[in-house]
Amino acid sequence: MGYSNAKGGEEAILAAEQLVRRGREAGSSPRLTLDQVTERLRLAVDRVMGEASLWSPGLASRAVRQAEGDQFEAMQLLRAHRSTLPRLAYSEPVEVAELRVLRRVSSAFRNPPGSQILGRTLDYVGRLLDLMPEQDHERYVAELEASVGHSHGHGHGHSHDGHTHGDHEHEHRVPENSATRDLVGELQAVAAESDDDRNPPRVMDLMRAMDLLVERRTGEDPEPYDVTRQPARPGAPRSAVLSMLARAETGALVHFWYKLRFDPRSAGHEIPGEVRHGWLPLRVNHPLTGNPVQVAEVRVTDVETYDDLDRPDEDRSRIDVGYGLCFGHNERKAIAMAGLDLAVHRDGNSSEVAQQVLITLDGVEANGFLEHLKLPHHVDFRSVIDRKQAIRALQTGTKPVAATDATPTPGNETQQIGALV
Amino acid sequence: MSLTLHERAQYAGAPLASPAPAPAWTLSVRGLGKIYGDTSEESIAGTGPEFGTAVSPNTGAIVAAWGVDLDVAPGEALGVIGESGSGKSTVLRCIAGDEPATAGEMLFTDHGGSTERLDQLSPTERRRMRISDISVVYQDPALGLTMDVSAGGNVADPLTAAGWRNFGRIRSRATELLQRTEVPIARMDHPVKAFSGGMKQRVQIAKSLANDPSLLLLDEPTTGLDASVAAGVLDLMRGLLEETNVAAIVVSHDFSVIEMLTTRVIVMQHGRVVEAGLTDQLLEDPQHPYSQQLVAAARG
Amino acid sequence: MTTLSAELTERSVEQLAGDAAPRDIFDELSKRAVRRALLTAIAVPGYQVPFSSREMPVARGWGSGGLQATLALIGADDNVKVIDQGEDAGVNATNLRRLIVGNAGCGEETETGLADVIQSRHRIPEEPLKDGQTLVLQVPVPEPLRGVVGSMDEQRRMHAEGDYAKMWVRLYEDIVRNGVVSHSADYPCLVNGRYVIAPSPIPRFDVPKLNDSEALVVLSAGREKRIYAIPPHTRVEPLTFEDVPFTVEHTEGAACVFCGSDDTYLIGVPEEDGTTRWVCSDTDWCSRHRPDDDTETETEGEVSR
Repeated sequence: MGYSNAKGGEEAILAAEQLVRRGREAGSSPRLTLDQVTERLRLAVDRVMGEASLWSPGLASRAVRQAEGDQFEAMQLLRAHRSTLPRLAYSEPVEVAELRVLRRVSSAFRNPPGSQILGRTLDYVGRLLDLMPEQDHERYVAELEASVGHSHGHGHGHSHDGHTHGDHEHEHRVPENSATRDLVGELQAVAAESDDDRNPPRVMDLMRAMDLLVERRTGEDPEPYDVTRQPARPGAPRSAVLSMLARAETGALVHFWYKLRFDPRSAGHEIPGEVRHGWLPLRVNHPLTGNPVQVAEVRVTDVETYDDLDRPDEDRSRIDVGYGLCFGHNERKAIAMAGLDLAVHRDGNSSEVAQQVLITLDGVEANGFLEHLKLPHHVDFRSVIDRKQAIRALQTGTKPVAATDATPTPGNETQQIGALV
Repeated sequence: MSLTLHERAQYAGAPLASPAPAPAWTLSVRGLGKIYGDTSEESIAGTGPEFGTAVSPNTGAIVAAWGVDLDVAPGEALGVIGESGSGKSTVLRCIAGDEPATAGEMLFTDHGGSTERLDQLSPTERRRMRISDISVVYQDPALGLTMDVSAGGNVADPLTAAGWRNFGRIRSRATELLQRTEVPIARMDHPVKAFSGGMKQRVQIAKSLANDPSLLLLDEPTTGLDASVAAGVLDLMRGLLEETNVAAIVVSHDFSVIEMLTTRVIVMQHGRVVEAGLTDQLLEDPQHPYSQQLVAAARG
Repeated sequence: MTTLSAELTERSVEQLAGDAAPRDIFDELSKRAVRRALLTAIAVPGYQVPFSSREMPVARGWGSGGLQATLALIGADDNVKVIDQGEDAGVNATNLRRLIVGNAGCGEETETGLADVIQSRHRIPEEPLKDGQTLVLQVPVPEPLRGVVGSMDEQRRMHAEGDYAKMWVRLYEDIVRNGVVSHSADYPCLVNGRYVIAPSPIPRFDVPKLNDSEALVVLSAGREKRIYAIPPHTRVEPLTFEDVPFTVEHTEGAACVFCGSDDTYLIGVPEEDGTTRWVCSDTDWCSRHRPDDDTETETEGEVSR
């Protein structure tokens, strides 16, 4: 009965809030500034924006800081805030071919038109814990800047998320003649120089030209399904599936994708045609002229992925394609998304896979439901115990210490059923 | 499973292939067809026994059944025989409502004399018919039974679906049916997944009889059972068919099953009916070469 | 976009542009959306109406659905009572109450008879509800068929066709296997002879209160985005065979140590010596039915820290 005092409940809540606030805002080190969070914890911020489905590095950084780094809590804060925002306008559809890439790799082709652009990635950086003494950091940065400035003739760039002009990170491109490149060449690759390099031809167009793809552009789903206004249930169109996937918790997506790899029907894996990270323009129609006007840019990761169609009822002469796009730099999420888009397409939008994707991957829902187990359940637990004792009494044939039936029933009612059985 | 609106519109107005059947039939089927793939006229040509295939050379569609006529009266059992792929099970599934027919008319009259065009009913109405009017015994018991539910619970299913709400009465009805189908009552409360193949079929038969259906559809009910077990199940079914006034359609590839249970039979090959007649006569003197082949195999 | 134009007429330009002040947790348009769903729910008793179910400042599973329903229904002149497990003072009830009062500017009330809207988790108050009152039950799992079939498509088909045979078979199997109906709280009920519902995890003891209730009962599942209702004077029957009467929780000889009641829903408090003390789950009812006021302090028990 730990919750029973009429005043105690509120006092306890206020005290808990006080502890949270003091613990978060006080402390011996300086408070994190929002710039620090955005810049130094950029992947955490990106992930929160993706799962909250709100592009706002500033607000997401606030959420990460307020949540003391708890991704779920931060995403939940941002979602709750998002749902209070008025809708000023609806953006126009954007063709993802417009993506201005910061990074672009293809697993399907060794050297696709536009080439591989490795960009900023941890993929090939040794997973070694950096044990550099803290006091050496400044000197190290100075050396780093000098070496980069020297080899590329390129100034130091800043990344300002949300800025129309994007960032000037140092993207690295794999030399086209990869057979002759050496390790040094790969690490000191040249920076992309022209707009064409930033906007390489899409692998998807190549595949279409080869006439190898299943046609997925059915035109059956012209208006995007707004999953925040209408719950998405099995049978919902692809735009609903993609929206739910884009909002899904990254860990849940990866897990579910991984789980399917152990299903005989989905054994093997798809091959990404492109994994890209870059900027997309956001346009709305001008309220007076009606013409589309670019109002912002958002940074996204997008993936198109290919799978061999190998089931008896599938067209074995073709390749199917899945797509994933999420806010920020989150490649594992976009790759899992694309794989799951494919899985839903292959099984159908009323399939079990579709149901799982639409219903079980949302972080707010899964975490909230799990954590609600901490709430008191003693009223229903008493009911459970009541039934256990009733069954026990019947089994032992004794009158229970705690009798079970309050309603006026014939005294030997349960025995009658027992006899029937 | 369900007809699309388009399909319904397309076939609802299909004309009768022959004059209206006598109302004495429990089921009267005319021009039943089922095509997988392109359902246009083009798919029909070049299929059937004379072409030796059910696959359309024009469209690649599978004409699983076409132009099938059959009638069955109360208390009578009609056999449908053919090899696998002949379309016999497709015909049964279309009658059962497990899948929509592409074409044709199915007139059903229940015990009480009320008549329905099965082909014009919605999927919901067809499922409702399956509760009390039309029962199916499948070759695979997993299709007809819930495996982790007890034998009694499986029989209780159609009873509760039909509105039974008295535990004692449901239980005694289930007991009666299981006794009739020779399922040991001591095992009535055991999940059917633990039962042998023959016993599962007996539970399926008990379940199928729960609401005194007017039409019983038996799809290869003894295939896959050991000969001695199959004989026992066949005996049971023959007895039940004789006792009740149910109309039955028995689909089998095995003439001995057809011979034991039915009085009339139709023979199917490549989706078409190639011969029809009294079971005895057809066994004595098959006319169509394919029938002769089947009979020879059975006598072999 | 009609929603956008509606928003434009609803709000001033300044509001649209946004300001630094904290935004309200639930705006009028969202309330209207919930009320629209609720009207359908009342018109079709027991039918689960999908609704947008916005993210709220409480986690999913913590009453986000009940909160939206209450905020959609309550006005500044109304009084709200919020209980969890029957208690007004539970921390979750307290938290939800301050959010509701903060948004709606309504009054707080603990006495059941004086509340206009009662939001509750897992209980229906002991005092019979009256005409004009609304009970909002928080629902964790709205789908009663989830225990018998996994596919949501199939669940929807079964509801649409009133095909509840699998529920009855489960009940049959339960009695066969256990000799009694072993289902505890959240007992499935047939509403108005048509839809089977999950009444939320109220004990079986509270189920009869739903039948022919004077008050409107709203059941709201925020996480699962469904809302359903039992209008006043609607028939609500627990699924049970005619010859196996529905039974509710009861312990022979148990009575509340504070008020002495033996006809309320009692919860057992295990003592260290192995005995059990029984107390009313409905703390407000209990405090009003004590022999004298001196015992009040005894209810306080431990305070959460």
